[in-house]
Amino acid sequence: MKKFLVLLVVIISISMFAQVTIEFWHAMSGWRIQLLQSMANDFMKTHPNIKVNVQYTGSYRDTFNKTIAAVKAGNPPHIVQIYDIGTQAMIDGGIAVPIGDLIDEDPSIDKGAFLEQVTNYYTVDGKMYSMPFNSSTAILFYNKTMFKEVGLDPNKPPRTYDELIEYARKLQKKDANGNVIRYGLTWPTHSWFFEQLMAVQNAPLVNNGNGRVGIRPTEAVFNSQAGKNIFNLFKKMTDEGLLLNTKREDWSGARQIFISQKAGMVLYSTSDVKFFVETAKENGFEVGTAFLPKPNLSVQGGSVIGGGSLWILKGHPKEETQAAWEFVKWMTEPEQQIRWHLETGYFPVRKDALEKLLSEGFYSQHPNYLTAIMELLLSKQTVNTNGAVMAYSLKQEKLLKLNTKML
Amino acid sequence: MSWKSKLTPYILLIPTFIIIIIFIYWPAAYSFKLSFYQESFFGNRSIFVGLDNFIDLFTDPEYYRVILTSFIYSFSSVFLTIFIAFLISQLLVQNIPGTRLFRLFIFAPYAISPAIAGTLWSFLLTPTVGYLNYIFLELFGIDTDWLTTTPYAFIAVMLATIWKMLPFDLIFYIAGLQSIPDSLLESSMIDGANLWQRMWKIKFPLLSPITFYLFIMNFTTTMFASFGIIDIMTKGGPLGTTTTMIYKLYLDAFAFQNNGSAAAQSIVMFAIMGVITFIYFHNVEKSVHYQ
Repeated sequence: MKKFLVLLVVIISISMFAQVTIEFWHAMSGWRIQLLQSMANDFMKTHPNIKVNVQYTGSYRDTFNKTIAAVKAGNPPHIVQIYDIGTQAMIDGGIAVPIGDLIDEDPSIDKGAFLEQVTNYYTVDGKMYSMPFNSSTAILFYNKTMFKEVGLDPNKPPRTYDELIEYARKLQKKDANGNVIRYGLTWPTHSWFFEQLMAVQNAPLVNNGNGRVGIRPTEAVFNSQAGKNIFNLFKKMTDEGLLLNTKREDWSGARQIFISQKAGMVLYSTSDVKFFVETAKENGFEVGTAFLPKPNLSVQGGSVIGGGSLWILKGHPKEETQAAWEFVKWMTEPEQQIRWHLETGYFPVRKDALEKLLSEGFYSQHPNYLTAIMELLLSKQTVNTNGAVMAYSLKQEKLLKLNTKML
Repeated sequence: MSWKSKLTPYILLIPTFIIIIIFIYWPAAYSFKLSFYQESFFGNRSIFVGLDNFIDLFTDPEYYRVILTSFIYSFSSVFLTIFIAFLISQLLVQNIPGTRLFRLFIFAPYAISPAIAGTLWSFLLTPTVGYLNYIFLELFGIDTDWLTTTPYAFIAVMLATIWKMLPFDLIFYIAGLQSIPDSLLESSMIDGANLWQRMWKIKFPLLSPITFYLFIMNFTTTMFASFGIIDIMTKGGPLGTTTTMIYKLYLDAFAFQNNGSAAAQSIVMFAIMGVITFIYFHNVEKSVHYQ
């Protein structure tokens, strides 16, 4: 009996001091590395038996590739942040523990607390696979001070393509030789904006209900009238010297051009609201934000959420998976979501977080933080505004199906 | 004891072989195998598809364009690099005060990584805020979007490549020029050869083994190692005009996760390099003059 008691004490003390270590890989560069680390530190303070190793693993694409390599090597991280478009590939890989299952098992969390527009994106074939964390949409940032300077109303941002062109013409400046020294608009030349501008027009990127009706998409259909509208707009603006195209996917380049006031407007993600507002202040101008422009006002679409979500990967002991779930759950709690929202510009993915900020009157002081949220909330919910899901080409898909049959 | 002396070299070579096998032969063999397979994203399912990956490549007109881009890019930057290096090296062997210091500075690009070189050129050429753009605008009143419009993006990438490769060639040419015996040049001067004739009729043929070697080295560099500069400067754009074979391979493998096709492309590149090296060695080496 004595021996048994000693053994019990030993077991209890071990389990009390035993730490579960989990790996968390993310793709948030710059000041966000510090931010996520400090959030994880706060988590570890309140959960002393869980240790979180936070690791920045490069861009979304790099993080995805590293995850693939880690899974192949049999050593996957517990939690990984994957970009929106990686969703279908992650599902196909069958390497993740679906978050929907974890939510169902856990009485302390209710799926209804999340914004439907956000959970809709990560729900494929009726199942929610990952936990939305850093969600964003594209919005238009504009230089209010420059608007005033050229005689535009700083509280009336452009709403249609025609207005966008008209405003850009006013903002454009040329030197004596006819070279454009100030442009109307710039953007990071990223396909994500094309996807967003398609959603604004309620048009699909791929067939079979944008890949969301249970059948895999087999064809890209963005060469529709909606797609042509966008390309015509970009072509016209480029030809007239109204639009400064950056290099492919050059986010920092577009940011730099807007901050140095070489362009009066920029298409960007809401993820950098804080950066834009503060840096603009340092550079002596004021920033406004607006919804993405549409071909004409009668068009009713919406915006697709972008950004990333947190995936819990299989292949770990139960207590580690449970610890990972605790961390993921904690990260989406209102307090953390608000902190993340205010430090970056990504919007909160939970309704209670939004309610809290609204009741505190935060948005009346900082309307720029609200633009993307309103843009998303006012979106018509269709397969087109929920975003395309796709992974393999048809050929690969056929071959792989054949393969599973043979097995 | 003779068996021992026969075996000794092989035993000594084992460590090197292990490293080469792990880092070169094994991955090469693996990508050869992979080029006949289609694989799921996480590698958990794969299927033998025979030559499908290759057939897909060669029925895609886009791929021919990429090959053409690669060839224009490689041959013109190699030619220009060797030509410019040959001219500059003539200057750097003159006994002018400060030559050593100048040599030091001109070698700097070789010592930095392609990623840094790409970043540097991006800073210089960024539209409206780049330094070179500013100089062009102030001096000539022209403003070119070097990295985002055709054909300037292609030219910009080539400039950066030449700038990066030049010092390597210079080192070899300078060493070569210094080893040419003075007596040869003196006797040619007595015979009345002018500067131009001395350069092309005497020095160039004497340095032909070096040129021969540099061509192969530079060509390999532009084919395989140009990735860093392109990725940083243009990411293969605009409109794919700077997408070389190696960059397309990277995109297919790491952006589109099509490993089978990427592996097939690496085999194609291997074959192209093999053929070019073979032809080159068989036809050009005859005209190389070894001292």
